[in-house]
Amino acid sequence: MNIPNVDLRNINIPNVNRLIHAYRVAPWRVQRQWLGNVLLLVVASAMVAALYLSVTSRTAIAGRDIQDLTEAIIASQQASSDLQTQLAGLTSAASFEERALDLGYRPVESEEVEYLVVAGYVTPAPIDLSTTSLPQLSALTIPPEYNQSLLDWLDERVTSSRGPQ
Amino acid sequence: MRGQYVRRSQALAGILLFCALAIVMQMTRIQNSPEAEIFRQEALNYASEWKTFYPNRGEIYDRNGRLLAGQKTVYEIGVDLNTMTDAHAIAFAVSETLDQDYGDTITLLEFPPEGVSYIVLADFVDAKEAQYLQELKKALNAQSPEGVPGGLTGLQFKSHPQRSYPENSLAANILGFVNREGRGYFGVEEKYNDLLAGNPVQVLVSTDPNKANEIPHVPDGTTLILTINRDLQAATEEILDNALEEYGANEGIVAVMDPQSGELLAMVTSRRMDLNQVWEYGNVYDNATDFDPIISKTCEPGSVIKILTMAAALDSKTVAPGTTYLDTGAIMIGGVTIQNWDRNPWGIQDMVGCLQHSLNVCMVHIASQMGAGTFYSYMDAFGLGHLTGVDMAGEASGRLKIPGDADWYPVDLGTNAFGQGVAVTPIQMMAAASAIANDGRTVIPHVLYGMVREGRQYNVPAQYGNTPITVETANTLADMLAISLENESSMALVPGYRISGKTGTAQIPVNGLYDSTETNASFIGWGPTDDPKFMIYVWLEKPTSSPWGSETAAPVFSEVARKTVILLDIPPDSVRQQLVAK
Repeated sequence: MNIPNVDLRNINIPNVNRLIHAYRVAPWRVQRQWLGNVLLLVVASAMVAALYLSVTSRTAIAGRDIQDLTEAIIASQQASSDLQTQLAGLTSAASFEERALDLGYRPVESEEVEYLVVAGYVTPAPIDLSTTSLPQLSALTIPPEYNQSLLDWLDERVTSSRGPQ
Repeated sequence: MRGQYVRRSQALAGILLFCALAIVMQMTRIQNSPEAEIFRQEALNYASEWKTFYPNRGEIYDRNGRLLAGQKTVYEIGVDLNTMTDAHAIAFAVSETLDQDYGDTITLLEFPPEGVSYIVLADFVDAKEAQYLQELKKALNAQSPEGVPGGLTGLQFKSHPQRSYPENSLAANILGFVNREGRGYFGVEEKYNDLLAGNPVQVLVSTDPNKANEIPHVPDGTTLILTINRDLQAATEEILDNALEEYGANEGIVAVMDPQSGELLAMVTSRRMDLNQVWEYGNVYDNATDFDPIISKTCEPGSVIKILTMAAALDSKTVAPGTTYLDTGAIMIGGVTIQNWDRNPWGIQDMVGCLQHSLNVCMVHIASQMGAGTFYSYMDAFGLGHLTGVDMAGEASGRLKIPGDADWYPVDLGTNAFGQGVAVTPIQMMAAASAIANDGRTVIPHVLYGMVREGRQYNVPAQYGNTPITVETANTLADMLAISLENESSMALVPGYRISGKTGTAQIPVNGLYDSTETNASFIGWGPTDDPKFMIYVWLEKPTSSPWGSETAAPVFSEVARKTVILLDIPPDSVRQQLVAK
C-alpha cells in the first residue's frame, strides 16, 4: 500500500478534529461498543455461573458422600457389636461346658488341684478395658468455608458490611 | 435494501425482547404468587429436620471380660407406598417369612391411613429373616424384565441395635433386662440405666446435601464391668438347680461375696428367665420380688442370726467364749416360754456349745443378759432394718422391730435373738455377717467393679459401713464358729480349708402362727477363717428331704465353696501357710 506524501503543515486541524469526532460517533461504532459490552457481561456471567455450578455440584457430591459414609460408620459399628455378641454366645459358659464335656473333660475336684509355688507369679487382676485412643471432641469443628455456598458467603458479607443494626 | 434489513432486525429484536420480558414477568408473577408462598413454606419444612442421635447402650462384662450384655442387629421392615408396585407380593412374602396374618398385611397395604407414605410391617426382626427377605427382593428384581421393578419393590429394611444377652438366663437376676423402648428393668440394667443408655443428642440437620452438617460425636453409653465371676455364677447355678432337686426345695438362692471388699462374685436364684425373651417375664415370676429374692425378698432368717446375737454379747462383754450356761431346755421371756429346736435340755454349755447346738434357750438367755437397749443397738449397727446400699434395683429394707414400736413386745427380744420376728433379706444377712469376717467392719455389697467411658476405665473402690464390733470380737467369734463346725463334723466343711459358719432352720410364719411341718433351711459361712476370701449364703425354701439346714443348706455351701476355691485360685490353708512362711 502506498502512503501519500502529505505535508502535515498544509492540513487544516479543525477539519481533522471534525473527522475524528464523526468517526467516534458513527452509529455502527456505538452499536458495536454496546454489543461488546453486553457480550462481555454475558461471558462474565456465564463464567461465574459455570464456576458456581461446578462448586455447587462438587459440594453436593461431597455432602452425599458424607451422608453415605456416616451411614457406613453406623452400619460398621452395628456389625461390630453384632459380631462381638455372636462371639460371646459361641464362648458362653454353657457352650464351653458342652464342648469340654464332648471332648471328654470333666470338672476338677478341689482335692485334685495341686498348687505349685512359682516365683514372681502375680494373681491376674480383673479385666482392664481401657483403650489407648483418645476421646473424640464433640465440638463443631467444620469451618464455614466448607459448608457455605457462594450465595451464603455473599449474604454474610453484605450483612456484615452493614454493621450492627 | 439496507433499510429493509434494519427493519427486519429491529422487528426480530423486538419480538425476542418481548418474549424475554414476558418470561421475566411470568417468573416474577410466579415467584410472588400466593402459591409460591405455599411452596416456599413447604420447602422450608423439608429443608431441615431434627435428628436425634442415640448412643449405643453400654455393654456389661463380668470381672474377667466376658460379655454378659451386648447389642445385636435387628431390622425394621416397612413399605414405601410411593414406590410399592405389588402389594400382594409384599404381603405374601412378609406374612410367610415373619409368620404374620396375610389378610391384615394386605389390608394395611391397600388401605393405608390417610396421608401415610411409609408403613412399618414388623420391627425387631431377626437378621436371618430380614436377610432372607432382602435376598428374595433381589432375586425378584433380577427375574423381572428390563425396566420393570420387581415384586417386592418398596419393601425397605432399616437396621438398628437391640439388647442381647449371649449367656441367655445366666445371671438374669443380676443383669435385669431392657425392654424394646430401651429402658432397663431390674438389676444392673435398671440401677445404671442412665449410665448405660448415655445421652441422646438432637441436631437440626439440613436435608440439602450442599449444606454439610457435622454429625455430632455421641459417646456410647457407659460400659460396666461387674464383680461377678461368670464361671462361678454358672457353676453355682448348676449346684443350686441340683440341690433343689436333691432336697426337694421349692426355691433357693446362693450368693457368694468377697467379705473383705463387698464384691459380689455370684448371685444365684432358682427362678431365672432367658433375658432374650423378655415377654416370658410373666410366665417365670409371680411378682417383682421373685426376680432377685437375694436383695428384695425378706424372710425370717432363723438361726443364722445367732452369730449376730453372739457377736453383740461378746463385744458388749456380756459373755466370753468360755462362759457356761445351764440349759434346761426352756426359758420364759415376756410371758412366753421359749424352747430349743429339739425341745430338750442340753445341760451345761459354753458359748461354743450354744452355737454348735444352735440353742434357742441360750440365745434368749444372753439377749436378756444384754438387755433390749444393747441388743437392738448392735442389731441396728449390723444394718438390720436398713438398706445395704447394694447397687441393684429393687432392694428391700427388711424389718427390725425395736422397743417403742407399736408392735414390739418384750418376747421379741428373745425371739429376735434366734431369728424369729425379724425380717431380713439374704444380702442384709451377708452384709451384717461381713463384720465378723472383716475385722469388725461391715462391707457394702456391690456388683459394679468398674465403668468404661470414652476409652477410660474407672474402678469402683470398696465401700464400708458400720463397725459394730471390734477386731478381737470378730476374730474370736470366727474362731468359735470354726470350732463349732469342726466339733459337729458339719457337712459344710471343705477339706483343706478352715471354714466359719452357722446353719439356720427357720420355721415359716403362716397367719401369725409357725408352721410345724415346713421350714426354710439356710447356711452362712466364710473361709479361709484366718483370711476370708469368700462368704457364701445358701437359702432353701421348704426342703422336703430334711427340714434342717445342717442336712440341706450346709452341704450346698460346701459344694459351692469347693467350686469357689478352684475358680478363685484359693490354695488350701497348708499351702498358704507355706507361702507365708517363705
